[in-house]
Amino acid sequence: MNLTGKSAQQTLLYGAFCVAILLVPLFLDDAFLLNKYSRYLVFAMLAVALSLSWGYAGILNLGQATTFGLGSYCMAMALKLGTVPVHTGSDGLPDFMVWNNVTELPWFWAPFHSMAFALMAGILVPAAFAALLGWFMFRGRITGVYAAIITLAAMVVVNLVIIDQQRFTGGFNGITDLAQFEVAGLAFDAYSSSTYYLVAFCLSAVLLLSLAITRSKTGMILQAIRDQEDRVRFFGYDVALYKIFVFAVSAGIAGLAGMLYTIVMEFASPTFLGVPLSLSVVIWVAVGGRQSLLGAAIGALIVTGVQGALSESETFLESWMLIMGGLFVLVVLFLPKGIAGAFEMLAALFLRRSAAKVPSVSQPAGEAITHGEGAS
Amino acid sequence: MELVVSQLLTGLSIASILMLVALGLAVIYGVTGVINLAHGEFVMLGAYCAWFLQTEFGLGLIASLVPIFIVLALFGWIIEALVIRHLYNRPLDTILATWGIGVMAQQAVRLMAGGELRYVEMPAALSSSVNIFGATESAYRLFILGLALSLFALTWYIYRHTAFGLKLRAITQNRDIASSFGINSGRVYRATFAYGAGIAGLAGALVSPLKSVSPEMGTTYVVDAFMVVVLGGTQSLFGTVASSGILGELSGFLAFHSNDTIAKALVLLAIVILIRFRPQGLFAARVRT
Repeated sequence: MNLTGKSAQQTLLYGAFCVAILLVPLFLDDAFLLNKYSRYLVFAMLAVALSLSWGYAGILNLGQATTFGLGSYCMAMALKLGTVPVHTGSDGLPDFMVWNNVTELPWFWAPFHSMAFALMAGILVPAAFAALLGWFMFRGRITGVYAAIITLAAMVVVNLVIIDQQRFTGGFNGITDLAQFEVAGLAFDAYSSSTYYLVAFCLSAVLLLSLAITRSKTGMILQAIRDQEDRVRFFGYDVALYKIFVFAVSAGIAGLAGMLYTIVMEFASPTFLGVPLSLSVVIWVAVGGRQSLLGAAIGALIVTGVQGALSESETFLESWMLIMGGLFVLVVLFLPKGIAGAFEMLAALFLRRSAAKVPSVSQPAGEAITHGEGAS
Repeated sequence: MELVVSQLLTGLSIASILMLVALGLAVIYGVTGVINLAHGEFVMLGAYCAWFLQTEFGLGLIASLVPIFIVLALFGWIIEALVIRHLYNRPLDTILATWGIGVMAQQAVRLMAGGELRYVEMPAALSSSVNIFGATESAYRLFILGLALSLFALTWYIYRHTAFGLKLRAITQNRDIASSFGINSGRVYRATFAYGAGIAGLAGALVSPLKSVSPEMGTTYVVDAFMVVVLGGTQSLFGTVASSGILGELSGFLAFHSNDTIAKALVLLAIVILIRFRPQGLFAARVRT
């Protein structure tokens, strides 16, 4: 198969997806639905973030929600400071701080008066957090399952700390009663097409940026690291540095998704850094296809869409996690490359049938790669 | 003096629970290389079994330990046969599959037993407290410590001194060669998985009188247990004991000076920093891989 042809096809597919999600509001005039779909798109972005680190660099981040939550808290802090305080005077202390007898705005809250700072922090704080964690893990050559466990442990601990430090974070209730997000004179009402466009635009940008990264030389090296880490090291590449890079980029994307989620949901809560959400992200990506950014995004849309549709019925609401867990196990067992992988397989089958006389060359190569993965 | 002893005892008590939970995990990971994220749910199921046996049949905790071990071992056996067996050459995917199983177990329990907290009564004979060097400690906690140590001793004995243990060690060193000598590695793996699950069930039953029983209780245990395994290194059973001891005492000490959450955060921080310099864990045996 012609590589340039294939990559052009891929670009076209990604472009079509971006156009499609940007066109949705033209056909839909229901504020409630638009809000729901914006939420799904945010989840799709989170899935892209995980696909980038897991599918392309082999770093299974079981704590992707950590960075998502950090981003969402950054945005919530800024939006909280943008409200007109009800219970305090002119000094503008957030209400939950007053309830917890905090008399002065903590130093790390102060810069969030500036929205520009908050926007930067929402991406850079998660990225820095991931880079630091990544530095310890990847410089120590922690790989595979160990890295996965550590990301999970880190998330549980960050979650506990946020709940514990109620005076500064709102604890269990999170940060609620937020102002509307406003930038450059534009107000984004969570229940309007403007917010949907904001989210859809960000998702498109993230998808295309991620695609560009995977196509770059860095992206190639990352995939090589995923398949055979030692060989890449023998070639003289600084494996840890590449991993830290992709881990931080993925965290930055998750942080952006978190910020958007706060805008869409109008609050931030410790559940955003919870195990259930993190598990969901992994499931979306696994179902969609971990080695395809678009597949991961579509996986998130399908799973959350089905979940949203089913949760309207009482019986399904209760058994949803049961179904989800079962579906997940089945996908892992029988469809390790997810929906995207199934499509590729079907496409290959179709192509082979239509050109039955041309012997397929790509098949043995594909087998060799799977074999290499299994051995590592 | 009194304070020091009571601090030490608190730490030991935390350590014994950690060890109980981590032991099954370490056995499974050390032998099969499977990271069992459903381990916390095995613990939770054990606790629910204890609650169920107590409320439905009036069975005391001590009497229900053996049935619980058998039930959970069976459960582990089935899980291995249905799912894990197919994933031995895809280690990262075992995490995912076991996570999915854990979620299903959690939700199934929530549907059947309800989401509210459950309480299990402590055995009456052990509800007193004991005086050690002026510090008081509940007899039950000492009982857990004793049981944890004996379970460890039993595991170690099986591992070092039985024919089954010999097969285990052979497979751990080289599965292919062991198989070619006629060891049925599939059966050994399944038995190991069942044993690990059974121990997890015991751990759950034993902690149930100390903490409230809820469908979500597994998550915290599995994270703590993994920290023990990461710190101790995976190849040595003694590493598991030593690192439970260290983590238990450290958590107890830090929690005394701040609170449980901060203690947990600091312990994690310490572990993350440590793995930068000793990725193989503190007590890794020198083995060729």
